[in-house]
Amino acid sequence: MPAKDYAPIDQNWLEDAGNLWTTPWVDKPSERVIVDPIILSHAASLFRKNAGYFYQNPDEAVRMVCAACELYDVTPVGHYLYADYWGLDYGAEIKMQTNSPPGITKRPIKTAEDVDNFEVLGTDELVKGPTLTTHYKALDTVLEEYPKMFAPITQLGGTMEVATNWAAIEDVFMWMITEPEVVDKLCTKAGDHMVNACRATAERYGANVMITGSVIASGDLMDREQIKRFSFQPVSRAVRKVLNAGAGPGVYYHLCGNHTDDFEMWKDAPMSPFTIMQIGYDGQNIFPTSKLVENFGDRCTCFGTVDTKIVDRGTPAQVYEQARDQVIAGKDSPRGFILGTACECPTNAPPVNVHALVKAAKDFGKYEKF
Amino acid sequence: MDIKITEELDNLLKDNGMKKEEIQEMIDNAESSETKLEARDGDISIAKGVSDNLTMYAVYSPSELVNVYAHKMKILGLTGGELDDIEYDDTSDWVCAKCGEIALERNVDMTYMGVTRPGPGIVCPKCNEFYISDGVAKTLKTAESILEEKRA
Ligand SMILES: [Zn+2]
Repeated sequence: MPAKDYAPIDQNWLEDAGNLWTTPWVDKPSERVIVDPIILSHAASLFRKNAGYFYQNPDEAVRMVCAACELYDVTPVGHYLYADYWGLDYGAEIKMQTNSPPGITKRPIKTAEDVDNFEVLGTDELVKGPTLTTHYKALDTVLEEYPKMFAPITQLGGTMEVATNWAAIEDVFMWMITEPEVVDKLCTKAGDHMVNACRATAERYGANVMITGSVIASGDLMDREQIKRFSFQPVSRAVRKVLNAGAGPGVYYHLCGNHTDDFEMWKDAPMSPFTIMQIGYDGQNIFPTSKLVENFGDRCTCFGTVDTKIVDRGTPAQVYEQARDQVIAGKDSPRGFILGTACECPTNAPPVNVHALVKAAKDFGKYEKF
Repeated sequence: MDIKITEELDNLLKDNGMKKEEIQEMIDNAESSETKLEARDGDISIAKGVSDNLTMYAVYSPSELVNVYAHKMKILGLTGGELDDIEYDDTSDWVCAKCGEIALERNVDMTYMGVTRPGPGIVCPKCNEFYISDGVAKTLKTAESILEEKRA
């Protein structure tokens, strides 16, 4: 749908939502906690389109996301991204899929020698590459059509996520056991790539918010020592370099999956004045916001989560109940709080479930600290 | 010590509203009190000057001024309050001139317009002195302008 087919965004809503969104960053008093259900291809389902359509049409994708933000009354930011970024730029093949985000099918790194010979692209080359060309098409659309809903985001994931977009996950996990120094090299290159990509966004828009963290590198697949060596340490080095390159100020640590054994080390991950910490699960359970706030509340903005499985397949009552507990535990966190989902809002999540999440923030997320 | 200031640096000083004498005084103080960072692999130093609303830095060699930069966010201390053990290599490229310890890359709490948040600092683990690198100062400039806009 071209821009003219979308109803205009209600400017009063946008101003209110903008105020709620400002609070966790700059402590500006507002009424209640903002909700960010990480809406991506879910927005397409509201338009009776699928994930494939969403990802093949970045300009329409962000229009749909912006409209969904107003519909649900959530964080007014037009996002476009998916997990399998940065393969194409280095010669990977990607498959568009009807009901899920694009997935890499053929990766450029096959052997340990390939890791040695692999050259990280510079900022100028990345800007011309397929990932940022598409990504910036989406961001430029937001900037032009929804300027107040724009955020200069760079989607990276952590070093293990970039590494496994370059080399097959089974190879990387095998090297982790047989030749861990190969994975060290790969993660160092992933870190350098992250710095160059962030520079590109910062140069284009004057600021950059990096989405990093540890997704594959979670307790579900790796032990604490492995997470430390191949994720926490190289990610920390990369974030530090990004901030040293003036390519901040936003740092969003997205620790997806189970982080019971390693979450504590992230307390000392490099932070900027605009840092979010989001942790998905504590073992099998949703990461308790009380624990998040206890460990990170005096450091950065906390992002409390509701189980994505419940949002996808649970009842509105289940979503509402978990959201209530999380928002009550987090709302007055000293350096700001956002309520959201453990990961991206599932494409076909029932809209009533997303609504239940927002309803809990409205009912239980009134600030008392101001 | 008398520091040569090139025309380029002189322009940078003017752009930042800094005076030559101010910079010279900062460097003199740093030299006499040894409150400065020294590069581990060369003869570059960083002097710091803290006033109420600006923290300035001068990067210099024995003969000339190399760079100047500043930030408005005021450093309060270590984020989390203590120098915990951390699980990555946090050694910086700098040594604290006063005590000879290698300075560490640690988060420091910074405050501006009533908002306190962390930022990546360079910390002497012994003397409790905090510094910001020139690159991070650029990141802070963006952060400060966001705070100015949103807190206005
Ligand atoms: Zn010292």
